[in-house]
Formats: sequence, structure tokens, C-alpha cells
Amino acid sequence: MIRKNTKLFLVICAWLVLGIGYNLYAGQPSSREYLVKGAFLYNFAKFVSWPEDALGDDQMHITLCVLGKNPFGDALAAIEGRAVENRKVVIKHCATLDELGKCQILFISRSEERNVSEILAKVKDWNTLTVSDMEGFAQRGGVINFMTVEKKIHFEINPDAAERTGLKISSKLLRLAKIVKDRETGPEH
Amino acid sequence: MIDRSHIPVGRKSPSIGRCFWGAALGTLLLSVAAGVCWAGARDTEPQLPADLTELSLEDLMNIEITSVAKKTQKLSKAAAAIFVITQEDIRRSGVTSIPEALRMVPGLEVARIDANKWAITSRGFNGRFANKLLVLIDGRSVYTPLFSGVYWDVKDTLLEDIDRIEVIRGPGAALWGANAVNGVINIITKTAKDTPGGLVTAGAGTEERGFGSVRYGGNLGQDTYYRVYAKYFDRDNAVFASGEDAADGWDVLRAGFRMDLEGSGPDSLTLQGDLYDGETGETILTKSLNPNAPPTLDEENDISGANLLGRWKRTVSNTSEIALQVYYDRTERNSVILDQIHDTLDIDFQHLLALGGRHEIVWGVGYRFISDDITNTFYGSWDPDSRDDDLFSGFVQDDITLVKDRVYLTLGSKFEHNDYTGFEIQPNARLMWTPQEGHSIWAAISRAVRTPSRTEEGGRLNNTVLPPGSLLPLFPGYGVVSLFGDGNYESEELLAYELGYRVQPMDQFSVDIAAFFNNYSNLRTLEPGNPFLEVSPSPAHLVFPFTADNKMDGETYGVEVAAGWRPLDWWDLKATYTYLQIQLDLGRDSGDPLSLSAEGESPHHQVSLRSSMDMTRDLALDWWVRYVDDLPSQDVGSYFMLDVRLGWKLHGNVELSVVGQNLLDDRHPEFEPELIDTIATQIERSVYGKVTWHF
Repeated sequence: MIRKNTKLFLVICAWLVLGIGYNLYAGQPSSREYLVKGAFLYNFAKFVSWPEDALGDDQMHITLCVLGKNPFGDALAAIEGRAVENRKVVIKHCATLDELGKCQILFISRSEERNVSEILAKVKDWNTLTVSDMEGFAQRGGVINFMTVEKKIHFEINPDAAERTGLKISSKLLRLAKIVKDRETGPEH
Repeated sequence: MIDRSHIPVGRKSPSIGRCFWGAALGTLLLSVAAGVCWAGARDTEPQLPADLTELSLEDLMNIEITSVAKKTQKLSKAAAAIFVITQEDIRRSGVTSIPEALRMVPGLEVARIDANKWAITSRGFNGRFANKLLVLIDGRSVYTPLFSGVYWDVKDTLLEDIDRIEVIRGPGAALWGANAVNGVINIITKTAKDTPGGLVTAGAGTEERGFGSVRYGGNLGQDTYYRVYAKYFDRDNAVFASGEDAADGWDVLRAGFRMDLEGSGPDSLTLQGDLYDGETGETILTKSLNPNAPPTLDEENDISGANLLGRWKRTVSNTSEIALQVYYDRTERNSVILDQIHDTLDIDFQHLLALGGRHEIVWGVGYRFISDDITNTFYGSWDPDSRDDDLFSGFVQDDITLVKDRVYLTLGSKFEHNDYTGFEIQPNARLMWTPQEGHSIWAAISRAVRTPSRTEEGGRLNNTVLPPGSLLPLFPGYGVVSLFGDGNYESEELLAYELGYRVQPMDQFSVDIAAFFNNYSNLRTLEPGNPFLEVSPSPAHLVFPFTADNKMDGETYGVEVAAGWRPLDWWDLKATYTYLQIQLDLGRDSGDPLSLSAEGESPHHQVSLRSSMDMTRDLALDWWVRYVDDLPSQDVGSYFMLDVRLGWKLHGNVELSVVGQNLLDDRHPEFEPELIDTIATQIERSVYGKVTWHF
């Protein structure tokens, strides 16, 4: 039996050496995180309904604005122009709050963490789905916040915030989310 | 302990037979070594799908976002038969223990022996000491060193803290080492970062006499998280076949902590530990040479233990990560059959590295030291009664991308040296083909061994005592049927061939099918020897020895199906089906009268159907129907069973639930144990209520 094992051992050593021997170049880093978050944003658009009058004059577009320093790189190119119930996704980048116009989805970059209250106050009547990935965003009144759980991306939703903005979030999305409440003002009931 | 002066009606008389010697100890070997919990099966898929927008939300939530080297892997891409029980599955099923949760898994057999004992195996050969299944809690092996099985009564934690239970059917030996023959169960708890705030649960019911738990978690500084918990339960006796109350109630108090340092830097640290202490009741058939001894004995076993585990991981670069894990475990059990103390120290090092775009290599080395101390009795004795063993192991595995996003090959092997059989090598090869997104086909060939247990090498169990007169005219006094270990006992060997197919034609529907053919050799037999006279202990008695040997071969094959369907947004259905056949062949020179009975100790068919409905945002209704085929070698008939749970969220932070379990029958038997004559009891219909408060 020992002889049999030794033979197997040699075979395995051989493929290891041959297998590793070639192709020795460094692996490429990737912004996996934001590629995946971009795909989530596209999915959110499918599971949120906006009031009729919030979808702009032509009803043909869903505008996704990224406010602040763009963490996505080119990742959002993958969803630009994609259709959500016949409406095409349009991407807009805004460096500052002043540049911000009406959008159905607003992703607030971490660079704007200090201005969150101001931003949320500004868009409060726009029927905007606010999304970010900073700690406590949803508790501060944002609608959806990404978080990393065991290296995977999960998200929390503040249903009260969604209701205040006039958005309807599908139960499927709610079920997958961690539900959070407003922190300071407290739950409504 | 209280003596009991009658044998419950309906129990078939014990014989050497059921003794199947589940056996024996051992174990040290176990090894497992490298199974650090952060790697499920490491068949990894390093690239993201080309078009992420095609993925469902669930799939997106399943993607690892850390660097190539750091990432573990998406289980759905693994070239192995994998099933994952999530925290949500555990919560909504209403189960109150880890063994009961395992009933969800296709390919596993979960049968209750009495209120606190289970027989659990993967793909056949079930028993209280089923020895072909490896169980890990957060990377710590809980395979029992004395009998090569698992003491399920102490395998527990706060169920709310479990992140998931990954179950791999089929050999996991190439990574986890000897004894991961038919399957590996990985119980993985949440990091402390994911359990902030407080949790209080409390409840009671007909079988759950009372239970409660408290957990609190928070921050210590910016990147350090902690939680502490304590839980207690007190469970009722089951009933004998006669309907009479048994003496197998149990209670366990357990407390533990976990700390995680997860900064933005390259290092992460985990430190965790548990302590437990409890009592389990059972009724055993007395083995005694005293004519006045009662035929059965009710006893309370003291069970206690502690463990401490530390794990350090460092991301060396974007393509390289190292991990070092050290743990210590003490298990202590005191019963009329034996007192035992086991100390285990385990050290594992592991290195994960990506080489080029094609290779992802993981290799590691491990060392384990096991020390035991046994108090021998007439029921069981071990020579020596205290022993230290070393286990050295190493493994290497390469995940090779043959065609990007389409074809992956995994080659790997474990190399081990144990004190019983010396050097063991356990290689496997796995191929994964994804012809298009949503379809994948995999195949695997593996070799695994089950190394001898301590009992198989040097133990003795007195299985049956024949009263004076029963051996006349051969001998006037007592006869004792004894099972002996043997120093020449070898490892059992398996060559496994597996094939699988996964398909997800749409978001709402998925099917996972796995088929296998297992070819075993050197399986354990018990060979009868010549009777001999033994004078100690007195009175003199005639011993009928059965000695452990390896004279059986066997084949098993089967199919396991897991399907998920979400017909409506608020309704989830999960079904599994398991088919299994076992065919065993005794060697020509074997005189073993009993080992073939394993053919009839596993059900041919098992079905499970679970439904989860969100009736409203606050009201959830779940039901779970199971069918288990009969066990022809035992007097256990087929049965259907139903559990129902109704959960109601009050205020969002408080949840009330009512759970009915085993509702279709007043009581039913599930399994008769081997080796030690604990009297099997029957599982009763039960109801409990529970309050869960998060703050």
C-alpha cells in the first residue's frame, strides 16, 4: 500500500510543478465591489415603483445620479442604456450638491458623508430612491444602504424613508434587506 | 442515578447484533486539519460573470467581493454536492437544535434515538457512532475521539448566531483529511461584527420545558467587535414504545464569546470560546455478573467541556493570503459505562495564492495532539486507558481555470501521518463545466479513508451478558459476548465517483441534482473467535469474542435532488429527495453475523418539502413535511411528519412564534442504537412558544 501511495504522491507533485510552472504573472486587481453594487442598483430599479409624475415628462428614462467622488469607475457603463420596464437607464455624475438635478435614483458617494443631511433634505420632495454605502445612512433617513457582511454585499432598507419619498418597494426587496428605522426621530408607531 | 426494575414493553431484545460496533474510537486521526472554516470547498470561481445585471438579487448577495486571494468561493459554483442551511432556514423552520436542522439536507440521514441522542450520517452507514462524517464548528473538529462519531448532545451554540451550515456530501478528505469519507458538515457562526446589540429569547412548550438565551454584542475600539452569550434549555423525557415516560430528559447551560478584529489593514483576528455543562438522561440495559442487578438502569450522564480558538489571517497581497488557526478543546463525559476526558490541541497553517490568471492554489500543514484519560468499567475497557497521539497532515489543492468562465479543474490531495496506520494519502479530481450561465455540470473522483478508532485498535465492549443456565450443558455460569479491537485493524477505504447538474432557468426556480457511486473496501467486520474462560471479574465466565477486522466490501449508490421554487413574491418552496442503495459483501473467510445489517439501516427514500409564506409584512407561516422510508434491519417503519411555525412580528423588534413539531403522530420511533445498549425511545408530538427580542 505504501508503494501505491508513493506513486500517487509523485504524480501529484508532477502536475503541481508542471501546472504552476507556466503562466507566472501577477493577478489583476478589480473593483469587484462596485461592479456588484452597480448591478444591485440596476436590480433596485426593477423592484421599486415610482409615482407616475416622478418619472419625468417622457416616462422613458430612469436617471441614476452619482453624487460626489465616483467610486464606480466604469462599472456603471454596464447598466447604462439597459431597460427597466421599457425605460432606459441614464447615468449622470454630479460633483457637488448644486449640480444635482432631479433623478429617480441617487447614489451618494462616501465623499459626501458630511453633507448627507443636507442632501437628503434637498431631495426629500423629489421621489428619489437614495442609496449609499456608509454606515448609518438608512438610519439617517436614506432609503437603501449597502453593507458588507462576510465579504458579501447586503443592504438595509428604511421603509419609513421610502414611504416619505412616495416610493413603493416590493416585498421581495424588503425580504432580502435588513430593515432599519430612523435613528433620531424614532419609529412612527 | 435511579435503578429501574423493568424492561419497557416492546423493545426487542438486544443481541450482539445490533452491535455493529459503531465504533470505536479513535480518532485522532481525524484530522481535519485544514478545514479552516473560511473555505467551504475551495473549488473557486475567481471571475465575475460577464454580465452582472443578469443575476438575481440573491445571486448578487452571494458574490464575494474581496480580492481573488481572499475570497472563499461561491458555493453554487463548487464541483461538489453542497447544500447550505441559512440562518433564515433555521429561524423559519422552528428547529431548536443543530441535529434537527440537518433534516433539511438531502443525502443526510437524521434519526433520533432518544430525547438527547441522534444517529446522523451522510450517504449510508448510520448509527449513533456513524463514523464516516466529519463535523466542524467554526473550523474546530467535533468528531469524538473515543468513538468515531459525534456527540450531538453537546454540539450546540446560540442558533441565532449561526450564519450558515454548509454540508458537503461525498468525500471531503482531500481538504479535511481522514474520516471526511461520506461528508463534511461545517457549522459557521456570524462574525461579532454582524451581531451588534442585544438579543433575548425565551420560550417553553410540551417537550421544551423551558429555554432562554441572552446575547450582547458591540465595539471595543474602532475595528474590534465582540459578543457574549449564554443559553440554557431543559427538555422533557420522550416515551418508551409502551407509551410510558422515559428517563431521557436533559438540560445544558452554555456560555461563550467571540471577538473579531476586522480593520482596514491586512490582518484580521478571531478569538472565540465556549463553556458548557449539562446532564443527559438515558435508560440502558444492565451488563453485570451480579444476579441481583436490575435489568435496566436509568442514569444521568454529566457532560461538560470547553474550547478556545484563535485565528489570524493576513492578506499578504492581492493574490495571497495566509491563515493560522490554533484551538484547544476539552470534552468530559461521566456515565456508568465509562468516564472520559479528551484534550485536543490543533494547529493549522494555510496559504491561499493565485498564480497567473489560471491557478488558485491552497496548501497547508497541520498538527494535532490528542490526549485522553478513560476510567474503565465492566461495560467498556481500553488498553491503555490513557493515551497520547499525534497527527501530522498537509494538503495542497489547485483550482485551474481551463476555459475562463466555463471549465474549471480542481486537483488536490491530503497527506497524513497518524499513529494507527501511518501514512495516508487522499487525492481527488473535480471538473466543473458551465456550458452557459444558469447551467453547470460537475464530476469528481476521490479517494478517502476512515482511519481506525481507538476502540477498534485497543478497546473492549461487553455487549451482552448471558445469565447462568443459558449456556448449559456447555458451561454452567455466565456467558459474555465481547467486542474487541485489534492492533492490526486497517483503514476503511473509499473510491467515490460523483456527478452533478445544477440549473436555474429563471430567478424563481432552481434544481440541483447529484448522483454518486461509492466503492468501499476494508469495511469493518466483527469476526467470531474461540470462546475462553475469564476469571476476573468474578464469577468466572465464558467470553465469546468478536474481533474487529476488515473483511467486508461494499457499494452504495444514490441520487439527491434539491429544488427551490418561488411561485409568488411572498412564497418560497424548497423540496429535497434522497434515494440510496447499499450493497455489502462479506469476504469468504468472514464469519461476521451482523455487519450486513447496515444495508437495512438507511432509508431508501427520503422526501422533505418546506414552505415559507410571508402572509403580511409581520406575519409568517411555515410548514415542513418529511417522509422517511422504513429501516428493514430495525423495527422502524416509514413515517410522514409535519412541523408548522407561525411567526408574528410586534413592533419590528419583538417576534412571537408558535411551533408545532412532529404533528402527524402521537409518537414514533426513528432509530435503534448500536454498540451501547441505550434503550431507544419515541419522539412525541410537541408544541412550544417563543419570544425573540432584539434591542
